[in-house]
Amino acid sequence: MLIFTLRRLNLFFFTMFLLTLLSFSLSFLFPGDQLVNLTGALNASDSVRDTLAATYQQDSNIIVQYFAYLSQVFSGNLGTAMTTKSDIFNEILRLLPATIELSLFAFFLATIVGIPIGFIAAIHHKKPIDNAILAVAMVGYSIPVFWLGLLAILTFSIQLGWLPSGGQMSLLYEIEPRTGFMFYDILVSSNDYKWDAFQNAFAHIILPAAVIAIAPATIFIRLARTAMLTVLETSYIKATRAKGLSFNQIIFRHAVRNSLIKVIQHIGLQFANLVTLAMITEVIFNWPGIGRWLIESIYQRDYTAIQGGLLVLSSFIFVVHIITDYIYAVLNPLARGAKYGSR
Amino acid sequence: MKTSPWLTKALSILSAPLVSLTLIGCNSDDQTIAKDSLIYCSEGSPVSFNPQTVTSGTTIDAVANQVYNRLITFNKQDNSIVPALAKSWHLTRDGKMITFYLRKNVSFHQTDYFTPTRAFNADDVLFSFQRILDEEHPYHPVSGGRYPFFQNVGFTNLVDEVEKINDYTVRFKLNQANSSFLANLATDYAVILSAEYAEQLAQQNQKSDIDTLPIGTGPFKLKSYQAGSVLRYYKHPDYWRNEVAIKQLVFDITASDTGRLTKLLTNECDVIAYPIAAQKIQENPELALEQVTAFNIGYLGFNTQKPPFDNPIIRRAISHAINKEAIISAIYRDQAQVATSILPQGSWAHDDTLVALEYSPSKALELLKEAGVKDGLSFDIWAMPVQRAYNPNALTMAKLIQADLSQIGVKVDIVSYEWATFLRRLNAGEHQSVLLGWSADHPDPDNFFTPLLSCKSLETGSNRAFWCDQEFDSLIQLALQTTNINQRRALYRQAQNIIQQEIPLLPIAHSRRFQARHKAVKGQLLSSFGGIDFSEVTKL
Amino acid sequence: MARDKIYLEEEFPSPLVQLWIVFRSTPSIMIGLGAFTFLIVLAIFSPILAPHSSVESNITMALLPPAWDDAGNISYLLGTDDLGRDMLSRLMHGASLTFGLSFVVVLIALAIGVFIGSLSALTKGVKSSFLNHFLDVVLSIPSLLLAIIIVAILGPGLSNTLWAIVMVLIPQFIHITRSAVKEEFAKTYVLAAKLDGASNLRILQHSVMPNIIEKIVNQATFAQSAAILDIAALGFLGLGAPIPLPEWGAMLASGFDLFYIAPWTVYLPGLAILFAVIATNLVGEGLRHAIKQRKDS
Repeated sequence: MLIFTLRRLNLFFFTMFLLTLLSFSLSFLFPGDQLVNLTGALNASDSVRDTLAATYQQDSNIIVQYFAYLSQVFSGNLGTAMTTKSDIFNEILRLLPATIELSLFAFFLATIVGIPIGFIAAIHHKKPIDNAILAVAMVGYSIPVFWLGLLAILTFSIQLGWLPSGGQMSLLYEIEPRTGFMFYDILVSSNDYKWDAFQNAFAHIILPAAVIAIAPATIFIRLARTAMLTVLETSYIKATRAKGLSFNQIIFRHAVRNSLIKVIQHIGLQFANLVTLAMITEVIFNWPGIGRWLIESIYQRDYTAIQGGLLVLSSFIFVVHIITDYIYAVLNPLARGAKYGSR
Repeated sequence: MKTSPWLTKALSILSAPLVSLTLIGCNSDDQTIAKDSLIYCSEGSPVSFNPQTVTSGTTIDAVANQVYNRLITFNKQDNSIVPALAKSWHLTRDGKMITFYLRKNVSFHQTDYFTPTRAFNADDVLFSFQRILDEEHPYHPVSGGRYPFFQNVGFTNLVDEVEKINDYTVRFKLNQANSSFLANLATDYAVILSAEYAEQLAQQNQKSDIDTLPIGTGPFKLKSYQAGSVLRYYKHPDYWRNEVAIKQLVFDITASDTGRLTKLLTNECDVIAYPIAAQKIQENPELALEQVTAFNIGYLGFNTQKPPFDNPIIRRAISHAINKEAIISAIYRDQAQVATSILPQGSWAHDDTLVALEYSPSKALELLKEAGVKDGLSFDIWAMPVQRAYNPNALTMAKLIQADLSQIGVKVDIVSYEWATFLRRLNAGEHQSVLLGWSADHPDPDNFFTPLLSCKSLETGSNRAFWCDQEFDSLIQLALQTTNINQRRALYRQAQNIIQQEIPLLPIAHSRRFQARHKAVKGQLLSSFGGIDFSEVTKL
Repeated sequence: MARDKIYLEEEFPSPLVQLWIVFRSTPSIMIGLGAFTFLIVLAIFSPILAPHSSVESNITMALLPPAWDDAGNISYLLGTDDLGRDMLSRLMHGASLTFGLSFVVVLIALAIGVFIGSLSALTKGVKSSFLNHFLDVVLSIPSLLLAIIIVAILGPGLSNTLWAIVMVLIPQFIHITRSAVKEEFAKTYVLAAKLDGASNLRILQHSVMPNIIEKIVNQATFAQSAAILDIAALGFLGLGAPIPLPEWGAMLASGFDLFYIAPWTVYLPGLAILFAVIATNLVGEGLRHAIKQRKDS
């Protein structure tokens, strides 16, 4: 386990090095003045410019510059956005939780719907139910998420009027942003309408989360189905059958647990996928998250914001990836020996 | 094997709380909070909280009538000038001296960041105008030191002195008589700020806050603002004019047309700006679509300082190749008139003898040949990203023009940015041509000529054509110095003819301004001039 | 399958022929293949087949609903958009942009990826280990996110989008080729060829490639469905194809503003994307089916 931890740490540092290096070199790759790209200080006065140049060690060689940049990043300074003039780090601290909240909710939906359905399909292998589930999964996997989002709004918000069409919560409620995690903020707030606000926020998250969840859920269906099928073919399942255990006993005591481990292995990858879908869905549902902000920044060519946003977002995805890897290794000792690239 | 009852059961248990919570989530709308609050879905973010420093209509809508008052204002019905913070005024016979008698007991906003100790008085008026007039004033350079509206109308040259007679009397001395001076003071730009607040900020060395955390005497005070998403006002409990009926006014900034309509249909907004799909709104018994005649012009501006449009023949050629009728029907859905001049037909100075340049691709081709354009001309059209009455969909309009011009072999690239970025780049003159427009701030015709095409406005940035013509400039100067309406009309006609010859910009349409609301929302919101006003709105 | 060990003239169908046999036996896959071929034909011949121009506007015919609606017009089968452009023609032209370009993109990525992959499979050591690390990092980032990142760097535009997607897909092909080649090289038939004195390159070309081609094509179908969705998503976000081009995602985005007036401008491009992705996935499904059958036999 120690060796495994060390390996993951090694990978982590390697990646962080790559990501910061990429982020730093972006300021050179983007058109315009490198210092301006790095800091977002558009039309700055000369004195401000000089201070900034000193902070980022512009006179020294490139390696010193990189470390100056690194120290700024780690002290929470990602510059200011060129368009809004707001501090990027604070902006991200405000937006990222909204994305995480939405993604976690969608992830939860995808797993509780996808995995059981996958298991059901496997149990009915090669029967009509299995085929129907597979066909639906194929469509769900192929449907473009932005289109699905529009259809969902049209059906559930406009025609049926069940759920709101966008935003994180009705703007009538005024919740002080403490952590950025809306549900938590509502619960710790001291308003009279706390419970109303909570329900309202809940109603707002269902539709976008469901839209995001569809594609990962269908992948979970396939993963769970394959995992269950493999497990059902193993000799220890045959042995339990020979022992005369009932069907339920076989499935719930032996098969489900063993196939779940196989599914968890892929969860990290799926979470990253889900965050990407969330970015697009945020645009459609007007969700105040980092995806919408980043896409907006790309559109406006706000290079400082792009640079900071990408760094934080990709680090976040990678951290999640490593954490799930770790959880998998804790659950399944066999995986600890596996090497990189041999997935 | 058959379906395990366990699995089914487990699934239903897991989904039960979801379903029940969903149902609860729906009926939380009928709260008192919804009755006391009004949500307005606006089309863009304000760029400042001080109308003095901007020309953007979105900012005016969001700020001017909500946070501030002016000395005088326009009557919403007949556009005459009526008292506001000044309860009366007096004009000397030579038109060079104007005295305002101020209203007493008008209180400024009390907010988290400022608590006023005194009521409104002459010091506030002095501060508000000195900031613009006096280049040595400590607040003059704050937020860039640009006061585009005032620079456009030549305010600094016009006003010799602003003088405090006593605490409730202020006198303006002018260098010469000016027929549009009072109208200019009644516009949304001439707001009164708090001098006491400015002092407090100066002590804290936070001067720039005056334009981002505003204090005024208006019906609403700022609670919070999140750039690009939401702007929240609370009512000003001691508003001098009337008791404000709603407690909370929220601007939900929704750039997408469809997004705004969706929010109106799903009851997430009470009022929306610039609605699309008029039919859909009229079909719905709970919604009302309203319109006002607006004094505006939507135009295609040519950057006359950059090739290819430094050549007037090419400007004329392109103008002949654009089918305005098609634009009126496709973009404005026939709710606009084809523009022949930059002045709307309703203005008394409009030259009715002018005819629009006819749509004629063959003429355009000839002109292009005459200008010596051989192989395919190509240029950028910048399409503004927000909806305005004068141009409800600039992007589609640009596409139409693109298609029109492709017929004469001219290639068009369409460029668009987010609104603030768009304006910044436009000010820098990065465009070759731009689809934009102008909404009048007051009924005087000068409000079209000076801001759009005078040499002065070249510096202030509202002259998007970067066009400066001495003859034209002297004509509109002359027109300002006289009050004789016939003389003025003649001068403005000449000016319109010069525009017709030179075509620094191609006038496209004069349109009405639309708005949609839930019928539960009562009260007049729109007027022909200036921004939306929520002070008298009530909600059933 | 047990075979008689008698020396008979037995013909082993080549992998591709085997594939065809499997394909023919499954109707759903044949439908997918048919749809796929249809799209390819459309992508190539759309300029000839389309009844109207895709960019030219015709204001008098604006916002016509599809022909089956009462207000529709038979010469505009699927209706028109707000500029009076024929939806059917735009969708057909869109096939060559969204579907056709995704096909080209995958081919380019495949060529580069397979080349680097097989090269790296034959080398060992530091280079290889660095590649491992690098692939691990890159493969853990979803393709669309990576494409967005690259477009952010290159700036919006259709060709930048395409390059971004090529770059995103290459590592996947490197990975699959590398592991497949390594796997094959461990097998005994390669050893036999080696003992015959064949060079590595020769073995790769003549013995290994025919046996891993299916895996690569399988990966290509994954890549293509991802590429279609990515091109469309970037187009939808306004980061891909520029305004007049009838790319399906961009069409959907511009239809968004007409959602309430002309809902077909939103439904149709979405359906087109869905159709193309499902067709691609069905073909992929068939390939996986065939590979599995061959393994089992």
